[in-house]
Amino acid sequence: MAQPTLYHYELDEASYRVRLLLSLLRCNVDPVAVDMFPGQEQLKPAMLALNPQGTLPVLKHDGLVLHGTAAILMYLAKAYDPAGRFLPEAPAEFGAVVTWLGFSEIALAPAFQARLNAMFAAPGDADALRRRARAAFRTMDDHMTLRHFDGQDWFCGDGATLADLALFPSFALSRDYGVDHDAFPALRRWIRRVRALDGFITMPGIPDYH
Amino acid sequence: MRLEEGWVPVALSSSIEAGTSAGAVVSGSEIVVWRDTGGTAHVWEDRCPHRGMRLSFGFVRGDHIACLYHGWQYDAAGQCRYIPAHPKLDVPQTIKVPLYRVAEKYGIVWATASADALLPDFGADTGFTPVRSVSIDCAAFAVQTELGLEGPAAVITVDGDTLLVAVQAVTSDRTCAHLVLLGAEPHPVARQKHHARWAEALRFRLETTSEVA
Repeated sequence: MAQPTLYHYELDEASYRVRLLLSLLRCNVDPVAVDMFPGQEQLKPAMLALNPQGTLPVLKHDGLVLHGTAAILMYLAKAYDPAGRFLPEAPAEFGAVVTWLGFSEIALAPAFQARLNAMFAAPGDADALRRRARAAFRTMDDHMTLRHFDGQDWFCGDGATLADLALFPSFALSRDYGVDHDAFPALRRWIRRVRALDGFITMPGIPDYH
Repeated sequence: MRLEEGWVPVALSSSIEAGTSAGAVVSGSEIVVWRDTGGTAHVWEDRCPHRGMRLSFGFVRGDHIACLYHGWQYDAAGQCRYIPAHPKLDVPQTIKVPLYRVAEKYGIVWATASADALLPDFGADTGFTPVRSVSIDCAAFAVQTELGLEGPAAVITVDGDTLLVAVQAVTSDRTCAHLVLLGAEPHPVARQKHHARWAEALRFRLETTSEVA
């Protein structure tokens, strides 16, 4: 199998979710940088031919073209993580991971949009987006508070999964759009665990402490 | 209560792991709560004297905290000790971060700017089980009124357990309540979860009430 091609943008949070998994999996791709800001290349014919939805990232592999961040994460886990560390096979564990993956796509959409609004002047009501972002983080913080009582550091199971990788960037980048971390102590602890993962990489806005 | 007025609860001790820092706000004042790798907690004004960057964004190295912007390092007394851009410089004594008095009691980190305030006393600090800090979109007095607390920190009985509720006024419409179960015997995980859910219900009640009002 040839290695996949990843169409991405350095400052795009969704692209980073995929780059992070690839790094943890030690999986090489051919990266193609797409000028999202200011170029909006993802909405121009060349990229629309690959992904009519006009979103990033896009993954091309062996004639298959994938879009949608959760779909790409799941595909890469199936293709490159045969042990199922990041996407467990057993129904109960699988169900928990994909539930949080769904959360990352839907409940965190306002957080995603809040950042685009703050950094790239994308449309949106900044206050309303921040409020909904905080509500999503609160759900996550409540969940991790209960998990910590059981000595668990991760959203599901006893190791990092796709759930953690898909949820991490929105919270780690929240200061970009004016949401502080002080109200979410369980998430503060959790992002330190994510940062300590072997193969962890940063993106602009997520400082490298070393 | 403001930091100048007395001891303010700013975090659960268990939330501030060794070698980490966290931002917090007390009555509008930004502070950084950090624990050095030796385990001692520190509470400072959250502002690097260099460019005003929040120190809570920075990182802890041993008993120093370093600013994220340019790596200026401060020792446990708030004194700047190292400026990476001028490694040979003997840093002037004037570059110093204002700090607060700190105490840890009942599993809570308390801070104050007052020289003579007395720490809250709910008996011997012999045993506690942390529950959680819960952030609520309402004024601090609303939390006190709802729970009938005698002061910003008080002990109440909730479902048969002795619960310390320590209230931190964040802003005029945001409050953080730090919850700890008191008692020499450690409480089982099921009780921690029970009271964590109780806190979620309290938050819901207070935020729904403030919307109606």
